[in-house]
This record gives sequence, structure tokens and C-alpha cells, in this order.
Amino acid sequence: MTLTTKLARLAAVACVMVLGACKPASEAPRANVTGAGSASHAEDYRETSPGKPGGTLRVSTASDSTTLDVHSISHGNTQWLGRILFDCLVYQDENGNISPWLAKSWDISPDGKTYTFHLRDDVTYSDGEKFNARAVQLNLEHMRDPATKSPLAAAYIAPYVDGRIVDEYTFEAHLREPYSPFLDVLAQSYLSMLSPRQIEHAPKSIAEHPIGTGPFVLESYTRDQGLNFVKRTGYHWAPAVTRHQGEAYLDRLEVSIVPEAMIRFSALESDQSDFTVDAPAQNARAIRNNPDLQMYSRVRKGNPFRSLTFNVEKFPFEDVVVRRAVAKAIDSEGLAWITGFGEYQPKTDLLASNTRYYDPAFKDALRYDVAEANRLLDRAGWTGRDAQGYRVKDGKRLAARVLTYETGAYPSSVAVAIQADLKKVGFDLSIDLIPLAQLTEQRYTGNFQLLGGGYWHTNTADGLYILYHSHSINTPTFIGQNIGSFRDEPLDAALTAARLTTDPVELQKLYSIAQQRLVENVPAVPLYESHVLVAFRNKVKGLMFDTSHNTPIFTAVWLDPEAK
Amino acid sequence: MKNLRLIVRRLLSGLGVLWGAATLTFLAVNLSAGDPAMAILGGPGAMPSAELIAKVRAEYGLDQPLIVQYGQYLGRLAQGDLGDSYNLRKPVGQVIASKLGATAQLSLSAAALAVLLAVVVAVLSANRAPWIRSLVSGTELVVSSAPSFVIGLILLLVFAFGWHLLPPSGSNGWRALILPSVALALPVAAVLSQVLRQSLEDILEQPFIAMARARGMSETGVRLKHALRHALVPLVTLAGFVFASLLGGAVVIELLFSRQGIGRLMLDAAVSKDVPLLLGITLLAAAIYVVVNFLVDLINHWVDPRAKAV
Repeated sequence: MTLTTKLARLAAVACVMVLGACKPASEAPRANVTGAGSASHAEDYRETSPGKPGGTLRVSTASDSTTLDVHSISHGNTQWLGRILFDCLVYQDENGNISPWLAKSWDISPDGKTYTFHLRDDVTYSDGEKFNARAVQLNLEHMRDPATKSPLAAAYIAPYVDGRIVDEYTFEAHLREPYSPFLDVLAQSYLSMLSPRQIEHAPKSIAEHPIGTGPFVLESYTRDQGLNFVKRTGYHWAPAVTRHQGEAYLDRLEVSIVPEAMIRFSALESDQSDFTVDAPAQNARAIRNNPDLQMYSRVRKGNPFRSLTFNVEKFPFEDVVVRRAVAKAIDSEGLAWITGFGEYQPKTDLLASNTRYYDPAFKDALRYDVAEANRLLDRAGWTGRDAQGYRVKDGKRLAARVLTYETGAYPSSVAVAIQADLKKVGFDLSIDLIPLAQLTEQRYTGNFQLLGGGYWHTNTADGLYILYHSHSINTPTFIGQNIGSFRDEPLDAALTAARLTTDPVELQKLYSIAQQRLVENVPAVPLYESHVLVAFRNKVKGLMFDTSHNTPIFTAVWLDPEAK
Repeated sequence: MKNLRLIVRRLLSGLGVLWGAATLTFLAVNLSAGDPAMAILGGPGAMPSAELIAKVRAEYGLDQPLIVQYGQYLGRLAQGDLGDSYNLRKPVGQVIASKLGATAQLSLSAAALAVLLAVVVAVLSANRAPWIRSLVSGTELVVSSAPSFVIGLILLLVFAFGWHLLPPSGSNGWRALILPSVALALPVAAVLSQVLRQSLEDILEQPFIAMARARGMSETGVRLKHALRHALVPLVTLAGFVFASLLGGAVVIELLFSRQGIGRLMLDAAVSKDVPLLLGITLLAAAIYVVVNFLVDLINHWVDPRAKAV
């Protein structure tokens, strides 16, 4: 590539940085998304042919996760970093079924409150310690120990009361109440099985020198710089459904933390890096057009990105008709384009389409339709217009203020585009761009009309309970994620019942009801799926994706010296 | 005796500056909205229990009135304890120490490079033909006003990704230091060489230069041996500016070149409301500033005894 084209690209990047986005007018939005949707490609989740051992993979990522104690954070990097260093009790297959990992099998008592795990007896930590029932007990204790300051893992196992070591390789977990997502969350990287010796004797050392049972061992970690891993020899307990249970092919894995998107892309393109787990959306076209590179856009399960969350206790969003009108006035396809450059899949319902029990029946209910939005607002009585053309009722303007902060996933250009969309139906949206710390506070005090952005990734449809059940509303003694104080009795009933049953037919019925109630009552406006963008050079083979997070797993990755 | 009193006075005023910096930052950070307890517990995605939040508040003393927190903070500071970082959950002193080396390497090499460049350009361009002068000062103007982000990107595209001469990122080895140092040094060098050329041109008009020329000294010899030493005096007083530019520039350069260091630490701390870490870095910056200014005064006093220390 010549220097002039590089400089031209620099100009294009500058354009993106300054203007937020330059959407080419002549071009219709198109989706490049592969592997998204409810259709799953089995070959993306398991090894299809054996690879060649050896070599070093150079990976880049955008940010440092600050600690490797995966129980103590909610950082997105944990999703793939956890799979490098650690293993979980169970694994979710691509259809959402729970399959064995460190636990060979399990029994659930008829009342749904006792889970008995039968563990593998041949698993060891990289320091030689055995993995056993005591290790599981110490891990669950570590997750909820206040000293761990766990923002996520502790909440996921909240119903866990205590555990009993039945024998060396049998562990019994007692729950306060039936909680069917228990196995699903145990499959997530945030709930990996850390070293019991470290948990007991040096919990602080886990942050920088973690010991795991995983396919790689940490060699060094320099904060804000990178992590080096070496293959764990003798590893042979990866999940059977991945069809690669043995050692990793790679000798080494070197992760560099490269915050600048432009640099991640250029390093990949100039062969100074082999793989990026944070491919920049603005370079997607260049990556896809480059014959040496591959790109995948993957969808995380759980809750999709929202453009707005309504505070249903504040004017004018107590009225469901106004909420629906706002949702239908926002062009989510256009918004998906200006942030995802064709890589993001627009979304018009409230559960990620690859989540088990996703029901596509409701995906048109909130589709972009300006005429319908106008009709709805007329029907709600917003028929007057003021001098600026905004709708008025009883002398009051139809107006609201959205709180947002600048982030790559939800740049201020999105808020500005929403403002323009809403102006077309006579709704006056003002934008309050504030620092994250301030937003967090306002969010928990409920002191807002609208919140911009936000997503909650989890690997089960129970993410709906976390975001929209009335039990997830903040109280003085409880921090919940239902920040808009949304309440709907039929929804509550369906989501509660879903936690009590493990019957797939029943679960499908209940989660369908829940999804219907959500698009009818509109607690939030869906924007696009939560995407994972990865890119790599052609020599990287054997990549598979984790079925809980849809992030890369490196155990079966190998380097093909023949490929460029 | 007079010198000792001077040093004591400077030390006391230095302590005053540090106290002022600590107080202002403490107030600024605490008055801006946002609950540090929630920041400690992971921001908007977190679901900590109320007991956990209360425990964290108590552990970090956040349940105390602000004035009590301030008193406790100063008390700990007097004992040299900067507290624990909220995010990294490690002592602030330890966190800063682990990143100081990388930033010192970067800013010292950038400072040396900036001075070297400024001297070469100024010596070569002072009192030359008008078109050379306007070309050089025009370039200086562009370079000194271009954001270091843009300079860094251009350097990266040309030398790292275009010609594959130097590594684009990392903190390991001297080769990885070259591009970031140049990017950080260029805007500073441009300002310094403007000042230096002006001062050189003034000096070159002085009678003792005419004397040297009359003795048959070469033009280069005159510039390097006689004029430069005198012309450097105003540069010394710019040391404060140089230091501030280098520290401020380090934030951007460390991010762009994926380097670890104080600049990036400061940015992360500000974004995540990591109060102890922010305070620690501010104090460090103020302390360096005090020391640099103290040294500047000493040097000025030494090179030019006419300058009365105040």
C-alpha cells in the first residue's frame, strides 16, 4: 500500500473523529453480519479438522481489564481472557444447552433448590493443585465475599446459600429458591474456577498472577501494556462439544493493549499483529476488501443495545403511547449504519436473536415508521404545535432530556441523530452529555427522563429479568438494573415462572410472553445487537467462538505457514 | 548564610504549592458529581448489593463528611501515605512508581531531542536570508500548533506502517521509544527554536561578536562558541513550559503509541473517578514542577549572577 493512500485513509479517519460519522449518501445500509441471527453455524463453535502445533499468536485489544480476578469485575475482556486462563464448571453449547466441562454431570433436585455436581477427577491447576469439590466451594465463596467487591458474579449467584462437599469430587450447591439460570451463568467466564490456594492464602495475588486450570498459563502481565501466555502442557479437559479437548496448538499467545483503533487496524494490515479482538468498525470495509484479512461480526446473547431507556415515572413517558411513538420514530437502521458501518445488525425487539428462547414473532412491532409515530402522538392528544413546530398539549411542549456519556459503543453522533429523528415527529429532545461517574449516580437515583445507550450481556433470556422485572428496580437496600422503574404484572409473572422451571417447552412459552409484553409496553428502544468484531490475518486458522459470549477461543487456533 | 535562607524559603513555598495542589484537586474531584463507591464497584453495569456499597463507603471513609475526609487525607499525606487506588486496589505510590520509569524515559528523551533540534535549527537559521528564515519559522509555526496526536499518526503511518522501519507500539526497547519521543518533542522543539533564534539574533548584534569575527573566527565558530552560550539563558526559563507540554503531551502520546505511563494512568483515573490516584499524580506533577523551577532559579543564578534570586 502506498503512502498516499495511507494518508488519504488518515484523512478519512480524521473525518470520522471530527464529524462522528460520514455516511455516504449514495449507499444503502447493508449488513455484513455473519453468524448472527438465530441460525447457528456449527463449524464456528467446534474444531472441524486438526491443526498444526507451534508458533506465537500476536493479538491486540483496545483496553486493559485492570485485574485478572474475573470474579471481581464486569469488564468485557473477561469474556475471552477467562477462556485462556481458566475453565468453568459447565459449558453452553451453541443451541443454549448446558454441556459438561469441569463437571462431568449434575443432578437437580425436584424442588429445584439443590444442584449436585459430579466433577472430573483428572483436572489440575498449573501449580499442580487438584481441582475438586473444595475448589468449587471456595470459588463460590470468593465470588460473594464482600472483599472481592464483585459487581457481577456475586449478583449472578445471589440465590446460592451454601455448599456441601459430599466427597472429593462431588459438590452440592444449595439455593434459597429455584433459579433455573444457575447453570447458564456458571458457564460464563466471570464465574471461572480460580485457584483455591490463591483464594485462601493470597486473594490479592489473583489480580496480577492468577493460577488457573485453563489451556494457557500466564507468563507476564504489564498493566496497560500486555499479557503473555504460554501453552499449558498436559491440558486435556476442554469442553467435549468443542471437539478439541487437548492442548492448545499455539506455543505462545501475546496480547498487546492498543487503545487507538487506527493503530490496531494498521498493525494488523502491515502484519505486525495477527489478530484483533476489537476490530474497528470504521475500518471494516478496508478489512473486508483486503485479501489477506478476515473479519467476523458476532452477536452477544442476552440484551441488545438500547438507544434510549425510558423513566416510566417521569413526564412524558408515563404514557405507553408516547413511548411507542418515540420507538417508532427512531431509524435504528440508520443509527446502526453510522456506528457500525454495515457491521451492526439493527434491532427492533428486546432480546438478542441468538439467545435461546428468542421469539422472532415480535420483531416488527417497533419497526421504524414515522407516519405511525405521528398517528400515535395525535391519538395521545399531542395535536397542538408551537412556533418551533414541536407538539403541545395543554400548553406543555412534548419534550425530554436524555442523559448520555461519550463512548465508542454509543457516540454522541447517535444521540444527535435521534434528536433529528424525533424532531421530525414534533418531539423536542435535548442532549445532556455528562461524565460517566455523574451518569452512574443520576442513573441510580432515578433522576432522569431518558438514558442513552446501555446493554446487558448475559447468556440467557433471564437477562430480561435483570433489566425489566419489577424486582430489579432500585430500592434503598438493593441496586438493580431496571433503572426506568418499569412495571408490568404479566411480564413479572412470566419472568418469575421462568426462573422456577427447567422445562424447555414451558420456558419457550414464558419467554415468548415476556418478549411480547416488552414490545407492547416499550420500557426501552432497541438499537442494534451487541456486537463482537474480530479481524485476523489469513494464516490464523481453527478459530472458534465461545457460545456464552460469542468471543474468540484460542485453544484450537493454529498458524498456517503456507498462508500469507 | 544568605543562600541557606534562600533555600529554606524556597522549600517552604514549594510545600505551599504542594498543599495548594492537593487541596484544589481534592475539592475539584469531590465536588464533581458521581459516587466513588459505585465507581469502585464497576460503574453502570454493576449490581452490587447495598451491604457491599455500605461496606465500601466505610472502608474508604466515604461515609464521613467532606471536611473530615480532607483532614484524614492530609494526615495520611503528611505520613507519606497516598492511599489505595480505587480501581487497581493497590497503594497509589506503588502504582505511580511502576509507571514512572516509562514516562521518565519518554519525556527525558523527548526533552533532550527537543533541545537538540531547537539548537541545531536556530543556529543554522539565525540571521540567514529572509526566505530561509520565513520557511523555517513557517514550519515551526505549523509544527508547534499541530496537535501531537496528528503528528504522531503521521509518523506512525510513514515510519511504522509505511516503511516498517520502527515498531508502532509498546514500551520495550529503545526502538519503540523513537517515534513517541519525536512526536512529543517536535511541537516543543518548534517553540524553543523560535525563542532561541530570536535570542541568537539579538546576541549576534552585540559588540563582542563583532570582536570575535574581527579576530578571524569562522561564522560557525562564532555561533557555537560565543553566541550560543549567551542565547541559551532564555531557554532555561522556559523549562517550566517544556515540562508542562511534555506531561500534557504524554497523555495523548502514550495512548496513541500504546505505551504504559503516567499520562495514560492519569486519563484512566480521571475517567473512572479514581480519586486517590488522581490526587497522587497531581501531587507528583506539582512536586516535579516545584523542583524544576527551583533548579531553573539556581541555574539562572549561576549562569547570570546579575539575576537576583527573589
